[in-house]
Amino acid sequence: MASVADFAQAQAPVYHQERPAKSGLVDWLTTVDHKKIGILYGSAGLFWLLIGGLEALLFRLQLAKPDQDLFIGNQYNGLVTMHATTMVFLAVMPMIAGFSNYFVPLMIGARDVAFPRLNAFSWYTFLFGSLVINASIVFAHFPAGGWTGYAPLSTRAYGNDGMDFWWAGLVLLAISSMVAGVNFVVTILNMRAPGMTLMRVPVLAWMMLVIQFLLAFSFPPVAVGLIFLAFDRTFGAVFYESAMGGDPHLWQHLFWLFGHPEVYVLILPSMGIVSEVLPVFARRPLFGQHAVIFSGVFIGFVGFGVWGHHMFTAGMGPIADAVFAATTAVIAIPTGVKIFNWLGTLWGGKLTFPVPMLFAISFIPMFTIGGLSGVMHANAPLDLQQHDSYFVVAHFHYVLVGGALQGLFSGIYFYFPKITGKMLSEGLGKAHFWLFLLGMNITFWPMHDLGNRGMPRRIFTYPADAGWNFDNMLGTVGVFFMAAGTLLMVYNIFTSMKNGKTAGRDPWDANTLEWMTESPPPAHNFDFTPVVFSERPLFDHKHSEDLAIPVPHEAEQIHMPSYSWKPLVVASGALLVILGLLLLNLAPMLWLISVAGALTVVVGIYQWVTEPV
Amino acid sequence: MAALPLLLAWLAGCSSEPAPRDTHAPVSDNGEISSFFYSLLLYLDAAILAIVVAVWAYALVKFKKQAGDDTLPEQSHGNMKLEVIWTAIPTLIVVAITVPMLVGVFQMSKRHDPNQPVVEVDVTGKQWWWEFDYKSGSAAGLHTANELHLPADTAVTLHMTSADVIHAWWVPRLGGKRDANPGRNYPMSFTAKAPGIYDGQCAELCGSSHALMGTKLVVHPLAAEVEVDYKGQKVKLESYETWVKAQLQPAKPPVAELEKGLKLFKERTCPSCHLINGLEGTDIAARSATSGPNLTHVGSRMAIAANTLVNNPENIAKWISKPSAVKPGSKMPDGLVTPEDAKTIAAFLSSLK
Repeated sequence: MASVADFAQAQAPVYHQERPAKSGLVDWLTTVDHKKIGILYGSAGLFWLLIGGLEALLFRLQLAKPDQDLFIGNQYNGLVTMHATTMVFLAVMPMIAGFSNYFVPLMIGARDVAFPRLNAFSWYTFLFGSLVINASIVFAHFPAGGWTGYAPLSTRAYGNDGMDFWWAGLVLLAISSMVAGVNFVVTILNMRAPGMTLMRVPVLAWMMLVIQFLLAFSFPPVAVGLIFLAFDRTFGAVFYESAMGGDPHLWQHLFWLFGHPEVYVLILPSMGIVSEVLPVFARRPLFGQHAVIFSGVFIGFVGFGVWGHHMFTAGMGPIADAVFAATTAVIAIPTGVKIFNWLGTLWGGKLTFPVPMLFAISFIPMFTIGGLSGVMHANAPLDLQQHDSYFVVAHFHYVLVGGALQGLFSGIYFYFPKITGKMLSEGLGKAHFWLFLLGMNITFWPMHDLGNRGMPRRIFTYPADAGWNFDNMLGTVGVFFMAAGTLLMVYNIFTSMKNGKTAGRDPWDANTLEWMTESPPPAHNFDFTPVVFSERPLFDHKHSEDLAIPVPHEAEQIHMPSYSWKPLVVASGALLVILGLLLLNLAPMLWLISVAGALTVVVGIYQWVTEPV
Repeated sequence: MAALPLLLAWLAGCSSEPAPRDTHAPVSDNGEISSFFYSLLLYLDAAILAIVVAVWAYALVKFKKQAGDDTLPEQSHGNMKLEVIWTAIPTLIVVAITVPMLVGVFQMSKRHDPNQPVVEVDVTGKQWWWEFDYKSGSAAGLHTANELHLPADTAVTLHMTSADVIHAWWVPRLGGKRDANPGRNYPMSFTAKAPGIYDGQCAELCGSSHALMGTKLVVHPLAAEVEVDYKGQKVKLESYETWVKAQLQPAKPPVAELEKGLKLFKERTCPSCHLINGLEGTDIAARSATSGPNLTHVGSRMAIAANTLVNNPENIAKWISKPSAVKPGSKMPDGLVTPEDAKTIAAFLSSLK
């Protein structure tokens, strides 16, 4: 039987590059290495996770007791809007992008993504988008129209300068996500190692494939909606102005046609991570791997036909309500299939419980709770009561915190050794896990009750005699547990990076290709081309007698893409185009900034195309 | 595990704090439909969750790796029979709950028989208060604000619309909410059953004072006066027709000591937004999208500032002397009246019963 150490026999080859990589800061600015871009995405995601959490902590202080005035009116609305916008677009999505960037090429045995410079361009448009949204705090005030940006509250007629920064930032994020979606679809479909048929692609990479399709197809509608909003705010267009023949429902349809697939963008990768982690620590294959994959694909498809369930109270009429209620109920079936297969994976295994496994097993009941309350919302007659109440707030936090975020935490503890070569501290990790699990249940469970007691969401204060005092106090207490847990994780990351135990190639005795190479992997990922015979290539190598260790390549056989400034140049051009439109309201001549940006984009793309790689 | 039944009991509403806006103590036919589905799905969800958690917990304990055991467990890749079973059973459950749900959707969108007596009211959401315009029956032509009065056991259709952004009128004990969209007019039909006073508020984020856009639903008995319990106090509710008759009366000229209040009310430009039916010089404002509540019977309301403050002269004075301190972003400007004048005006307004 082979061991992973056998893969280390070769002298690491020098790979071929058109221009040798830079070092230091310039390297990080010009890199096209999917692993470095993954680290950038992941770090940004963690940073915004802390900011988004801080925003939540502030407004939970306001809600701790009735009739308080810490943050009132649009201050409070701004915190709520930015908490959601930050968590969805600037924390969870980039953390997903981080895992997708770092691990998809490794998992499928590729050297990099299909379009490495396009990947760097996605990162920069994301970075600029995140900065633009938050720049609102410096120049004006937070956008206060809710993360759903419902028109006409979000339009110029109702002021709210922060919404300018909101649409501007989101347009950049939309560009980033659409570009990344195309890039990763091409990567996963075309760059798999020999023998890796689609059904042998690891489940995490599969879920990433599904969400890249969702990103590529769901962002265009909201991008259109955002540009309509931009035209309204900048040029006085009236797409959403009913008195002028526009329609506020237009925004809701465009937004939720994106917004619901977006929910699956947030949760499917965590389901993928759980599907990777459970088999490793149960010591047996994922139960019903094909069923898990196909249910993910099914969710992706049906996810485009359910957006109307966000609009049951909007007045679409009973026919539309009935159709959307029925399609939404269908989503419960593939979701249930996944949960049962995870239980099937645990059943009959030999379970160990390091930190990644703790988060993965607690994902199952926490996500199930969120899924089951979702079944309630799918019921349109019941949703007329629950819509826009705290019951919904409880529901999507069980899905996105108990589900998506716990899955990502599991992924962080699981993959940190591969990224840094060091293990995270188990003790701190366990403290993080218990604090976080306790905190999220203390905060979000009582919100079900608040919804039942008729408390609407997004209200900055409430009367003392409405029966909401006890639950709200709990909601605030729990946040401190979650914050403490998350800070422990950040501390763990910083200290373990320096002082953590050395991980080696395969610290968890895992099954898939990324654990075959060094930790951290070399720039070219693998010294050899991995050959795949099942969905567990590394397991095969470790447990069968007759699989030969692949022969390393000669140096000149490995071509790696060169560094490039062009993604930064083109993304900066896009930023200037947006900034010009954004600032137009301050002084008319500022449209010249947009022209300069457009020229930068054109020149940058020309240089990009002609640059040797 | 032991905590699970406890948590579910809490969800079912067993906390000791009173819940005056309990969505599951419905007082209308629509509310009963919502509540029926809640109970149905709560039991179903609880059963599914209990099964999942039981299997999960059993597996975690039973299949924990024993120290020193380094052999691999059986490497099963799945089981087709199980996959079929756990796809088929949820499918059947989904079908079983979807069919009655579709019936419920159409029940809640029913239209009342136009030949039956129906109370029709236009409900207009405005930043940050509610305007009610009665369209049919004895109350036709009546305009009031924030407190919607309806007869019990009578078919009601509310027509939801908005003068500015999207709002949603929600009285949890009545039943579901419907959005009030600008440029649209969506009906919500129901029959309220139990006379009483029920609080509610806007449920769709509508700007800086969204949290302070409250409303009250007062369901009057059809005939004789009844006594109802409101927040632990006994309140007498007259019959709907008695209420309508009183509200249709124009305001009476104020007695001598309150005349100064009326004078200040006119001087400080209040009538440019607020109508008082029957008092000369206060009915100049054309009703428009921007006008404020009709004050003809403001003294008879239980609360002011959209169910935010208890209705008494002190609170009216506080509200009109600095509206933005009560409601951030209020459309009623600050600084129109001095605190001293505010007291005088408040005394006059309170007299408009």
